[in-house]
Amino acid sequence: MVSLARKNLLKDLPRFLVAQAGIMFAVSLVTIQTGILKGFTRSTTLLIDSSAADIWVASENIVNFELTEPFPYLQVQRAGEIEGVARAEALIIGSGRWYSDGKLTTLRVFGFDPDGQLFRPGQVSSAAINALNEPYSALIDRTNMRSFRIDNVGDTARIRQLPVTVVGVTRDTQSLVSSKFVFASLLNANAYISSGFSSELTCQLGEGDLTCVNAYQRDSNEARANLAEPGPLSSDSPVTYVLIKAAPGEDLQLLKQRIESELSGTKAFTKNELISSTQAYWQNRTGIGFILGLGAIVGVIVGMVVVAQILYTSVSENLREFGTLKAMGASDWDIYSVILEQSLWMALLGYVPGLLLCWGVGTWTAATQGIVVLITPVSAVGVLGITVVMCVGSAVFAIQKVTRVDPGIVFKA
Amino acid sequence: MVAIAANNIQMSFMSGTTETKVLKGIDLAVPAGQIRLMMGPSGSGKTTLLSILAGILTPTAGRVELLGQEITQLSRKELTVFRRDHIGFIFQSFNLFPALTALENIELALQLKGKKGPNNKDYAFDLLKQVGLGDRVNNLPADLSGGQKQRVAIARALAGEPELIMADEPTAALDSSTGRDVIELMQYLAKNKGCTVLIITHDPRITDAADEITYLEDGLLAQESSLVTGLHSVEA
Repeated sequence: MVSLARKNLLKDLPRFLVAQAGIMFAVSLVTIQTGILKGFTRSTTLLIDSSAADIWVASENIVNFELTEPFPYLQVQRAGEIEGVARAEALIIGSGRWYSDGKLTTLRVFGFDPDGQLFRPGQVSSAAINALNEPYSALIDRTNMRSFRIDNVGDTARIRQLPVTVVGVTRDTQSLVSSKFVFASLLNANAYISSGFSSELTCQLGEGDLTCVNAYQRDSNEARANLAEPGPLSSDSPVTYVLIKAAPGEDLQLLKQRIESELSGTKAFTKNELISSTQAYWQNRTGIGFILGLGAIVGVIVGMVVVAQILYTSVSENLREFGTLKAMGASDWDIYSVILEQSLWMALLGYVPGLLLCWGVGTWTAATQGIVVLITPVSAVGVLGITVVMCVGSAVFAIQKVTRVDPGIVFKA
Repeated sequence: MVAIAANNIQMSFMSGTTETKVLKGIDLAVPAGQIRLMMGPSGSGKTTLLSILAGILTPTAGRVELLGQEITQLSRKELTVFRRDHIGFIFQSFNLFPALTALENIELALQLKGKKGPNNKDYAFDLLKQVGLGDRVNNLPADLSGGQKQRVAIARALAGEPELIMADEPTAALDSSTGRDVIELMQYLAKNKGCTVLIITHDPRITDAADEITYLEDGLLAQESSLVTGLHSVEA
């Protein structure tokens, strides 16, 4: 079967390659923008996704995974007693500052029970998790080692005034919109979060009234001497989440309602609900989703312009050929199919190298920058669909031109 | 039997508000199997008449019958199908598809006629052998001489064995010797395959290939057609 479309495309190889480079660029732009958007939104919920908890209990004022209010540790103990709850564990999230080699980095510390079952910070060995029971030890994400100026496991630094020993590295945990993550035991995390402040309670008894003033004071950033081990959590120690494992066969929606009624001031989410609401927050309530989406749309527009321009030029240059085809008795569909086939070849031959390029770029950025350009099978098929629509849509302009070709053109010398 | 019949063909073009009459009432009858030359000076309306007789242009007035079918009543789509099934075209500038080899140019014509399958290649090869290009089947048009290109165009026009061949200045881009060869080939193949051939030309050197010559001048037949006798020199 003779393919005039394919032969016409390859007739002028250098021009064809330049054209394909344009389409490849458009495909790459769309893939990278959507990949970053997906990678970025996924990164905001990696820790939720890797947990074994069925339900996450947070303050009722929660905005997103990292923006919520703490509640007393007592709620964790009470949650464990609710009917249908097989297991309840605490998760603490707080901020801090990492000092290493005299340089400062902001961090987000996650405190969890290393002997627990419901929270695991990404891909990390059991030995590293067990090592978190040591005082002032922590895990960091592999992608943050350079920022934290940590070369090897066992290196030390300081979080506020407290020492920290890196006992392991983990991966696939870091959110792109957050400070650098540090993972520690509940005790260590509580110490790190609350360090840097000291309080002094002064009470005075006046005419029958007791007046108390609790004065908080920021401590100096100097390393603290004569360090004691981190103390245990008390009932009123602040925690951020209660992670719940439901008893087998338990209806999660009913259990959520029970938890919210038992633990006042809380809101319960299934794992997927918390993922969805957090991702929706970052995509819709911040400009990030819009900006990355806009970039993807620009990619599609650029691609359409490139393909339309190429097809239109190709049709204009081959107008006499199309006139000849018409004179010879080619139907409109015969002619449209030549242009459509041409556009589909352009789509396919621009898509494959474009996707390979993005895959390479994504691998490189994930390894060196910790920025994931997420290309899933679904998104790859989606971009192929967009590319095909982009190219076929562009062919419409060329088809309009060829529709108006007067077959009488063939009789002109 | 009359293969091409035209009755009172008129054609006008509007240029702004000015109407230009290109054809002013042409009557024509070409018997089946005849080679008819249509000659006349530039601007006499030859190409317009050919376009109308080929069903590419619709006349302002008059009727055209090809092979007993009145084509002036056909829709655009029906005309396209009629051309595909019954007419082969030969053009002054050859109009070969430059990205396709000689063989593929003919295969494409066969594909358009709905003929698909492995036999197309053999059939196209046979046609190229008939026009003396059996050793050039895989050459692109750019690698062929003018005469060879026109031979490919003739082979393409004959693909699918149409009853009518319409040729527009087929020798205009060729030197006299090549032009002569090409017209003799057309003459031989047309006679062999029983085609009716209508050739528009300025070229006085090919008049002896015609059965009859029609002269057109200023949109009218300038004089009665002249039958050419004793000039046929059909050779293999």
